[in-house]
Amino acid sequence: MAYVSMGEAHRRITEYLSRFCDAVSYQDSSTLCRLLSFSSNSPSLLSIADALNVFQDAGSLIRQSDKFSEYGEILAHLFRSLQSYRVGNLVEAYLAFEKFANAFVQEFRNWESAWALEALYVVCYEIRVLAEKADKELTINGKSPEKLKAAGSLLMKVFGVLAGKGPKRVGALYVTCQLFKTYFKLGTVNLCRSVIRSIETARIFDFEEFPRRDKVTYMYYTGRLEVFNENFPAADTKLSYALQYCNPKRERNIRMILKYLIPVKLSIGIIPKDELLQNYNLHEYKKIVQALKKGDLRLLRHALQEHEDRFLRSGVYLVLEKLELQVYQRLMKKIYIIQKQSDPGRAHQLKLEVIAKALRWLEMDMDLDEVECIMTILIYKNLVKGYLAHKSKVVVLSKQDPFPKLNGKPVGS
Amino acid sequence: MNQAGNTQAVAPLDPNSIENRYGVDGSQAHKYSYQYSTGSDGTPWTAHTVENQAVENGNYSNSNYYHPQPTGPATGSVQEIPNTASFTSSSTSGTANVAQDYSGYTAYQTSSDPHSYSNTGYSNYYSGYQQQPSQSYPQPVGAYQNTGATQPLSSFQNPGSYAGTASYSGTYYNPADYQTAGGYQSTNYNNQSAGSYPSTNYSNQTPALNQGNYTDYTSNPYQNYTPNASNTHSSTIASTTPVHYQQNYQQWPEYYSQTEVPCAPGTEKLSATSAYSQSFPAPGVTSEMPASNGQPAPSYVQPWRQETDSSQPPSHQPGAAVSTSNDAYWMHQTPSLQAHHPVPPQNHYQSPLETKPSYETPFQGHQRATHPQGMMNSQSSFHQAPLGYRQPTQTSPSVDPQRVSKVQIPTNPRIASNLPSGFTKMDKDSSAAGAAQTPAYVSISLPKPKDHTTATPVSGPFPKSLRGFVERAFARCKDEKEKASCGAALKEIIRKANDDGTINTRDWDTEPLLTVQNTNVTNAESSSTLISSLQNKSPTRRPKSRWEPLQEAKPFVKPASTFSNAVKFGGWNHQNENNKKGSETFQKVDAPTGFKPSYSGQNSAKKSFQRPVKRQRFSGGAATAIDDEASSDSDKDLTPYYSSAMALASSADEKKRRDSRSKRFEKVQGHSRGNDLPKPKNANVGNLHSRRATALRLSKNFDESGSRAVEDIDWDALTVKGTCQEIEKRYLRLTSAPDPATVRPEDVLEKALLMVKDSQKNYLYKCDQLKSIRQDLTVQRIHNHLTAKVYETHARLALEAGDLPEYNQCLSQLKILYAEGIEGCSLEFAAYSLLYITLHSNNNRELLSSMSRLSEEAKNDEAVRHALSVRAAVTSGNYVMFFRLYKTAPNMNSCLMDLYVEKMRYKAVTFISRSCRPTIPVSYLVQVLGFSGASSEGMDEKETDGMEECLEWLKSHGANLTPDSNGDILLDTKASSTSLFMPEPEDAVAHGDRNLDVNDFFTRTG
Repeated sequence: MAYVSMGEAHRRITEYLSRFCDAVSYQDSSTLCRLLSFSSNSPSLLSIADALNVFQDAGSLIRQSDKFSEYGEILAHLFRSLQSYRVGNLVEAYLAFEKFANAFVQEFRNWESAWALEALYVVCYEIRVLAEKADKELTINGKSPEKLKAAGSLLMKVFGVLAGKGPKRVGALYVTCQLFKTYFKLGTVNLCRSVIRSIETARIFDFEEFPRRDKVTYMYYTGRLEVFNENFPAADTKLSYALQYCNPKRERNIRMILKYLIPVKLSIGIIPKDELLQNYNLHEYKKIVQALKKGDLRLLRHALQEHEDRFLRSGVYLVLEKLELQVYQRLMKKIYIIQKQSDPGRAHQLKLEVIAKALRWLEMDMDLDEVECIMTILIYKNLVKGYLAHKSKVVVLSKQDPFPKLNGKPVGS
Repeated sequence: MNQAGNTQAVAPLDPNSIENRYGVDGSQAHKYSYQYSTGSDGTPWTAHTVENQAVENGNYSNSNYYHPQPTGPATGSVQEIPNTASFTSSSTSGTANVAQDYSGYTAYQTSSDPHSYSNTGYSNYYSGYQQQPSQSYPQPVGAYQNTGATQPLSSFQNPGSYAGTASYSGTYYNPADYQTAGGYQSTNYNNQSAGSYPSTNYSNQTPALNQGNYTDYTSNPYQNYTPNASNTHSSTIASTTPVHYQQNYQQWPEYYSQTEVPCAPGTEKLSATSAYSQSFPAPGVTSEMPASNGQPAPSYVQPWRQETDSSQPPSHQPGAAVSTSNDAYWMHQTPSLQAHHPVPPQNHYQSPLETKPSYETPFQGHQRATHPQGMMNSQSSFHQAPLGYRQPTQTSPSVDPQRVSKVQIPTNPRIASNLPSGFTKMDKDSSAAGAAQTPAYVSISLPKPKDHTTATPVSGPFPKSLRGFVERAFARCKDEKEKASCGAALKEIIRKANDDGTINTRDWDTEPLLTVQNTNVTNAESSSTLISSLQNKSPTRRPKSRWEPLQEAKPFVKPASTFSNAVKFGGWNHQNENNKKGSETFQKVDAPTGFKPSYSGQNSAKKSFQRPVKRQRFSGGAATAIDDEASSDSDKDLTPYYSSAMALASSADEKKRRDSRSKRFEKVQGHSRGNDLPKPKNANVGNLHSRRATALRLSKNFDESGSRAVEDIDWDALTVKGTCQEIEKRYLRLTSAPDPATVRPEDVLEKALLMVKDSQKNYLYKCDQLKSIRQDLTVQRIHNHLTAKVYETHARLALEAGDLPEYNQCLSQLKILYAEGIEGCSLEFAAYSLLYITLHSNNNRELLSSMSRLSEEAKNDEAVRHALSVRAAVTSGNYVMFFRLYKTAPNMNSCLMDLYVEKMRYKAVTFISRSCRPTIPVSYLVQVLGFSGASSEGMDEKETDGMEECLEWLKSHGANLTPDSNGDILLDTKASSTSLFMPEPEDAVAHGDRNLDVNDFFTRTG
C-alpha cells in the first residue's frame, strides 16, 4: 500500500464525498454504481479505502458540509465497510455494509423515480457477495456462518420495496435472482416459493417487461426447481427459455443451463448432439448419451458411478438414474430388431430367457423373475407395448409401434 | 469499634477460619480443627479447599455429623431416632450440612481466640449449645441473653448457640457470627430435615438441633419482637446493630469463602428428594428462610468464588464495598425500625409497601425485631434461613444472614418476609408460640393437612365453610408434598383472614383453591413468602453456577433443579450479578418482587403466587414498577418498605449513600455485557462514582438483564449429578428442574439399559424405561458412548415396534452424537436414515443430499449398500428386487422396509395386472411379493401360510381371483387392473403397534 499523506487522504475523501453527492443530486446512476461496487476492486475505490485508513476521522468530514451530512448515515457506514474491506476484515465489512444497505434502501424508497435502480442492484449484489465472503471467513475461524442468511433477509426486504406497483417494479426480478442465488447456496430452496408466487401471480406487470438478463436468470433457477420436482415438461420450458435468451457469448452461463437441460431433455426422450456436449465441455453426459443410444445398461451405470458426486451435488442424479428404463427399452428394441432379421414371424415374441441372456452379456446378472419384473414396469410405463405371458415367460409385443417414442413426454405419462 | 478492627483482623484471620472449618469438616474430629486453629494462620488455603471438596463428597461430613449427634441427640433425640435409618443420599447431604455448621464455628473460633475458644466453642457447640452463650461473650447486647432466655422456653440447647453467635459478632468477629450463623443454618437445615424426615442420617444429630433451632428461631424472633415492640431494645438496637452489620460486611469475604463450602455440601444434601418432601411440610418457614438466604447468597457467592481461589484479598474488597452499603442499609433499617417499634405490627406492614399494608406489616415487624438486635436478627434470619432453605438454598442460607448485611438491603426485606410467617404464628400463639411452632413444623413435615389446620387456628373456632374449603384444598393434593405445601398455603390464608377479621365473614365456599401453585412448584410455595424465597433462591444459584469451579457446580445445580425453570433462575442470577455492585438495586428488585407477590397472593388468591414464581422477570418488572411509583427521591430499594424510612432518608449522609448506590447501578449497566467482571470491583467503582439513576433507568436495566439472562445460562454449572440407585424408573416428563435424588448416575443407567435390553416386557414398557434413561442422560448432560447406545437401542426398539416418531427423535439425537465423533453404529443408522428418506419422506432433495454426504467407507458398508439398493429398487419400482432385499436385510433394515411393504405390493400388483395377460398364479405372487413362508422351499405348511396371507391381501385390495383347473388360484389381471384399490389402513394405532394391548397402553399412560 502506497503511503498516503494526510492531505492526500483528505483530498481523496472529500472528492469521493462530493462525487457521491453529485451523483445523487444529478441522478447519475452509473457513477453511483462505480462508487459502490466493492467487488470490482477498482483502483479508485481502493485508494479511497487507503485514504480512509490513514484519515481516521472521516465522520468529521462528512459532518463538515450540509451537502455531505445529508447522506451522513449512508456514507459513514459505507466508509466503515470500505475500511474493513480493505483491511481484509470481511465480517466487519459485511456488518457495516449491511447497515449502509439499510440506510441506502431507506433513501431509495424516498426517491420517486427509479433512477437509482442500477445502484440498488449493485448494493444487492455486493451484499450477497460480501456475505458469502464473510461466511467463508467465519467458517475458517470456526464460527457458524450466518451472514448469508442475514443477507437473504435483507434482500427480502429490498424485494418488498420493489415489488409494488410503479417504475421500481422492474427491479424486482433482479432482487429475486439474488435471492435465488442466496437460497440455493443456503439450501433453503423452499423459501423461493413465496418470491416466485409474487412474481408469477402479479398480473399487473408482464413478465416480458423485465430486463432480459433477469428473466434468463429467473428461468434458470425456476427450471432447476422443477428438476428437483421431476416436473420435466415445465423444467424443459423454463430451461429452454433461459437457453434461448441467454447471451450466446456467455458460455459459462450456457453451460450451466445445459447441465440441467440435458438431463431433462434426455428424460423426455430427446438426445443431444455430440457437438453440443463437446462445445460446452459437458463430458460427463457423453457416456450417458451413448448408453441411451446403444441400450447399454452397463455403460449407463458406469457413467452414473463415475460422476456420482457431481450428479448428486447438482441434483440430477435421480433424473439420470431414471433413464435406465429407456435403456431397457432400447435394449429390447435391439433384440426385437435382431429377432426380426432372423425370424420375422415370431419377432414380436420376446422370450424372457433371451432378454436375460442379453443382460448377462452386459454383465448384468438377473434371473427371470427380475427380468419379468422389469418387463412389467416397461409395459406399465408404456415404454413397451404389449403384454407379458407369465406362464410361457414371453413378452408379446404389439404389432404396431411396439416401442413408442417419448416425443417430448416424460416416461410413464 | 470492634467492627473496624474486625475487618482488618478478619482478613488475616479468615484463612485460618476457613481452614478450621475445613479441617473440622474434613477431619471431623474436633481436635483437628483445634490444631488448625492453634497452628492457625499457617495453614494454607489449598489445604482447605481440598478439604472442602472432601466435605462435599460427603464422607467427611458424615463423620462430622456423627460427632455432633451424640451430643445433640440427648436433647432432641425422640424424633430423630426413627429417622436415622434411611436415606443414603440424604445422609451425605446431611453430613455436608453439618460440616458447614462446624466450619462456621471453627472459623469463628480461630478468628477470635484460636485455641481455647475454638475448643470450647466447638465442644460446647456439639455437646450443648446452651453452654456457649454463657461462656462466650458478654459483649453483645442483652438481646443475646434474651435469646438464651427464650431458648429455655424451647428447652433446646440451640438457643445457646445463638446466643453464642451473637456474642461473637460483638466481640470477635462478624465472621464468627457469620460462620456461626452459617453453621447454625446448616444445623437448622439438618434439623429441619431431620424433623421432617425421620429417615435421614444426619437427622439424628440434627433432630435435637432442629428442634432446638426451631424453637429458638421462633422464640428468638418472638422475643425480639416483643422487646422491640416494647421499645426496650430499640435504643440498643440502633447503636449495636449497625456495628454488627458493618463487621459482618467486612467479614463477608471470609464468609463467602466459608459459605462456599457449606453451600456445596448443603446443596448436595438438599438434592435428596427426601429433603424436598420435608421442606414442603413446613412451608411457611421454608419460604421465609429461602428468601433471606437466597438474596444474600447470590451476591456473596460470586465475590466469594472469585476470591476463593485467589484467597483472602478479594474478600476484603467486598467487605469494604459492602460496608458502605451496609451503612446505608442500616440507616434505612434503623429509621424504619424506630418508627416501627412503637407501632403495632400492622402499622409496619402498611409502611413498607403501601400497596398491601396488612401483609407487609408482619415482615417489617420482623425485620425490626431482628434488626434491633443486630445479632439476633442475623441469627433469626439464619434460623429461618435454614428452615426455608433446607434443600435448595441451604448453601447460601447460612451465608445469607450475614450476607444479608452485605446485600443487606435485600436481605433484610427478605428476612422480614421470611419472618412474617413465623412471626405471625408467634403472634397468634402468643408466648406459647415457641413451643407451638415447633410442633407446627413437625406436623408440616408429616404430610397431614389437618394437622396444619389445627396448628394454624389461633383464635376462635373456624367457620364450617372454612373447614370445607380446607378439605377441598387438600382433596386436590395428589401427594404428600402437595399436601404439605397446600397446608402451608392454607395456613397462611387462614391466618390472614384471621388477622383482618374476615375469617368468619368470608365466603369460603367460593374461595378459589390454591391448586396450581402446588403442582407447579416443587417446593412448597403455597405461601406468598415462599415465592419470594424462591426468587431469592434462584439468584443465588445462578451466581454460584457462574463462578464456581466444576465440583461446586454440582451442588448448585441441584438447587436449580428444585426450581422449575432454570431459565428463570438464570435471569435472576443475572440480575443479581448486575446488582452485585448495587446491592440496592438488587434489593429493590428482590424486595418488590418478593413482597409484591406475597401481598397479592395473600390478598387475592393463590394464583398470584404462582405468577411470581413462574415469571421472575415479570415480578421483576412489577418491582420496578413499584419503584417508579415511589417518589424518585427515595431509593428504589427502600421504597418498598419505607414510608417511614423516608423521613430519615433526607439526611445528607443518607442521600449520598443512595446516590452512590444508584450510581453503582449505572455502572452495572455498563458492565453487564461482561458478566465476568468481579463483583467486588464493580462495587467499588460504583461507590466511587456516585450519581443518580432514575427509576426508569433502573427498570430498563432490569429488563435487559432479565432478557439477557435467558440466553446466557451456564448450563455446565446447572448440570445435575444423579444419586438415584434404582435401576428401574418410570418416565415422567419433567416440569421442573430435575431432582438429583431421582436421577440415576451413569453406572446405574448402564445397568438400566442392560435391564431393558434383556427385558421380556413389551415395547411400551421398554420405551418408557428408555425414555427415562434418556432423560437422566440429558439432565446430566452425558454425551458419550452410553448415550449413543441408549439412543441406538431405543431407535432399534422403536423400529421394531414401528414407532416412527420415537425413532425419529432418537435418530436426530444420534446424528448429533455421531457428529460429535462419538463412536457408535453410525453406519447402521446411516442406512436407516437413508431408508427412511427413500421410503417415507419421499423428498428428492433430501435424498440427494443425504446420498451425497455418504463417505466411501459408508458406501462399502453392508447395511448402507443394502439401503442404497433398496433405494434403487424403490425408485425404479423393482418389486422383485425389493422383496429380495427385504429377505436379506441386515440389522433392522427390514423393519423400515416393513413400512413400505404394503405400498410396494400394491404397486407390484398394479404393474402386474396391467402388464401380464391373461392370468398370473397367486403362488407366484406369494413368492415374489415376499408373503411369509414363501422364501423357504419345500415347507408346505409355510407355503400355505403365505398363500393364505396373500389371498387375504389380494381380496382386501380388490383383486379378481379365479380358480384354475388344477385347483390353483389365479389372479385375473385384466379384471383386476381396474378393480384394485388401496384399503384404508385398519386399526392404526397412535403408538404404531396395533398388536399392543390398548388397555396396557392406557394403564401405562394413564
